[in-house]
Amino acid sequence: MATVVAVVVLGGVVGPVLVWLLAVLLPAAAARVLPGLLRTSALLALPIAVSAAIVNILFTPGGETVLVELGPLRVTGEGVSVAVEVVVRVLVMAGAVTLYYLATRPAELVASLQAHGFPARTTFVIHNAVAMIPRLAERAGEVTEAQRARGLDSEGSLRRRLRGVTAVAGPTVSGAIGEAETRALALEMRGFTRPGRHTLLWAPVDRGSQRAARWVMVTTVAVLVALRLAGWTAPW
Amino acid sequence: MLSLRGVSYRYPGAALDSLHDVSLELPGGTITGLLGAPESGLSTVCMVLGGLAPRVIGGTLRGESSIDGQDVRGWPMHRLCESVVLGLGQPAGQLSMVAATVYEEVAFGPANLGLSRSEVMARTEQALEQLAIHDLASRDPGRLSGGQQQLVALAGLLAMRARHLILDEPVAALDAHGRTLALAALAAAAAGGAAVLVATQHSDLVASICSSVALLTGGRVMRQGPPGEVLADPATWALGIAEPAEQRLARLLGDIGDGR
Amino acid sequence: MNATWIRVGGGLLAFLVVGLAGVLVLRQIDPERAADSWSLVTLLAIPAGIAIYALIEYLQTGRLESIRRQFDTRTLVLMPVAMGLNIVLGTAVASALKVPVYLDSVGTILVAALAGPLAGALTGLLANLVWTYLAPPPFGSPFAAPFALVAVVIGLLAGSFARWGWLRPRPGASGRDLAIGSVVAMGLVIIMAVLALGVWQVASLGGELAPSSDETAFLALGWLAMLLVVGTGIGLAWLLVRDRDLTAAYIVVAGAITGVTAAIVAAPIAASLFGGVTGSGADFVIAAFRQAGADLEQAVLGQSLVSDSIDKVVTYFVVYVILGTLAVRTRARFPQGRYLIAQPTDEPAGRAPGAGHAGS
Repeated sequence: MATVVAVVVLGGVVGPVLVWLLAVLLPAAAARVLPGLLRTSALLALPIAVSAAIVNILFTPGGETVLVELGPLRVTGEGVSVAVEVVVRVLVMAGAVTLYYLATRPAELVASLQAHGFPARTTFVIHNAVAMIPRLAERAGEVTEAQRARGLDSEGSLRRRLRGVTAVAGPTVSGAIGEAETRALALEMRGFTRPGRHTLLWAPVDRGSQRAARWVMVTTVAVLVALRLAGWTAPW
Repeated sequence: MLSLRGVSYRYPGAALDSLHDVSLELPGGTITGLLGAPESGLSTVCMVLGGLAPRVIGGTLRGESSIDGQDVRGWPMHRLCESVVLGLGQPAGQLSMVAATVYEEVAFGPANLGLSRSEVMARTEQALEQLAIHDLASRDPGRLSGGQQQLVALAGLLAMRARHLILDEPVAALDAHGRTLALAALAAAAAGGAAVLVATQHSDLVASICSSVALLTGGRVMRQGPPGEVLADPATWALGIAEPAEQRLARLLGDIGDGR
Repeated sequence: MNATWIRVGGGLLAFLVVGLAGVLVLRQIDPERAADSWSLVTLLAIPAGIAIYALIEYLQTGRLESIRRQFDTRTLVLMPVAMGLNIVLGTAVASALKVPVYLDSVGTILVAALAGPLAGALTGLLANLVWTYLAPPPFGSPFAAPFALVAVVIGLLAGSFARWGWLRPRPGASGRDLAIGSVVAMGLVIIMAVLALGVWQVASLGGELAPSSDETAFLALGWLAMLLVVGTGIGLAWLLVRDRDLTAAYIVVAGAITGVTAAIVAAPIAASLFGGVTGSGADFVIAAFRQAGADLEQAVLGQSLVSDSIDKVVTYFVVYVILGTLAVRTRARFPQGRYLIAQPTDEPAGRAPGAGHAGS
């Protein structure tokens, strides 16, 4: 599905703006997630865009067309153009990834993978990993609470804070691993390791149009990569 | 019928056996209780019966273990789980965490067995009905209370329709209503011909549903018999197991009545 | 053991052959972008190496036991936890901490140590992909996926080190061993510290070291990460002095090797895709290098060398501590667990994992 969109962007280092319009904004509008997409992808891209801009604008050595001088730092035309290129690329990537996230649910992706023949073990790992992320973060929240309960938020020496955090962080990690141990046993018990196909209760419909779109995107990427390797770079 | 004869088991890397010459006969159609104090080997026996030890955990097993007369020591786990399933003690660990809804969680077991979709759904529905958790079917398993999770875990086991059931502390997190449902489900399973083992530290659980009780201490089976006998014997309480509340109360009142 | 060496040798040979061939071919096509060629070549060479390894094993034994053994159910359940650890720690550090470390490989190295190189490599690969494509918004990072290759390399290295017993606790080592180990470890640490400080001074735009962020969870994790970095230095010294645990030296060496290798593989990717910046504290380092006159690729490589070495030493130490908190019996059950234990245990009797209440 949307898997390949991001791949396209990664490969399409050339002419990224065009790609952005076609592959990110258009599907986003179709999926009616455009405003959310713009907001989230802008947020995601912001720190790195700013960083990239600063580093490239101010620190590119050896530029010829000097635009502004601020003491030891020089803003050069080359630096600016590199910065622009990087920023645009970053925006597009962020946009593609956000689109992917907004338009897909992990459950659907995993079911779709399994329907296409991925083994149940792999899809389990992926799905479980996504589920683990918020759980681990919740545990981190508990770390914060425990710290606050100990009144270590703003007062407390570094050593006390260190002890406070490790006292909670240690058991939570080993607790997570211990629970993993039980889960492994339970999975075995429920026939998880049985070779052969595991029944799928449902899977997202894979329409012909989606399959066609996928082929188009894959071929476009392949062509672009080949061209790039052959040394061709876009004139704009 | 599940049977262990002269079974000794040692965990990997341990210097001593955890189970010593254990023999248990669990006839089909009965609920047997395995009663013991903490650290007496309850969970170990469950894992041996359920096949996890030594297959998944490692370690060495000596003696005979058979199901319905067949020696199962060579069977792989996924074949064994059609004959016997084991419910572990922790509800949260038992959930697979890859199911978005309770329905899919319960269906996980049958789906792994590769059954047809209609069969999977039929078994899931029945298990949900049996434990009266149909209203939880579209909830996220990770967000349920401990008691609800335990019911869901039990439903997942029942849906597999294995011939026999081993349960390690099956009702620990349940409230009274949940307990009634779970025990009714176990009784129904036994009525259908399954051999059911309930391993617990709580003697009142054993008193309520088991037709036979085996006492486990230090990795050995001390005695096995009808609950009336075993629970009335004062030697039982010397092993560190708590008496059933009613029995203790009756005894205390009897003592007071006798003027002691 | 002989058969294993043939297999491993074959895999390495294939890796080198494909690698060299790739570099030569690419150099013919486009001499300008030689730096890019590293990553692409590695991308092709690693699967080639693994494939040859598997092929030889299949020819030798008719099965793929050493690979399959790494992926038992226990590993499969551990991998998601490890991936989550990578993502959560990595995100917190990137957003809240200004110190140039990543701390996004803890899970990868943990799985590599417990289950094996291929398992670790796969964990890292999937973690990076999930980080980009599937992680929910506070945690998603669009920039992780291309570095999946680096994660694979880290996993392979860490798994190998663990297999050779580098992470086995060695308390009570002899005075002479300790002395040698300490010198080696301290030497490496001093080199890294000097480099880092030097760069830090130049990049004096660095600002404060204290974590800052809007999200409280990230703030907490940021502090945790900070404490991990500080704690590592203290912890390593503690291990050497109080426990007389020689493994501290191994940790530093393993971290240094892994860090340098990771930097070499990662730098071209970062340079060509993002102009070298990732929105984290490492960017200041790059700025510093460039101001000193280095071109983009060199700057990124320089930054990576410093950051990655420190980062990996800290990560190995954290993994070592985590391994230490696991019961010996728990470690032993994993495919590579026995290389992580000091000596055969003598527990009076085992205990069931995850038992009902207080265990029985």
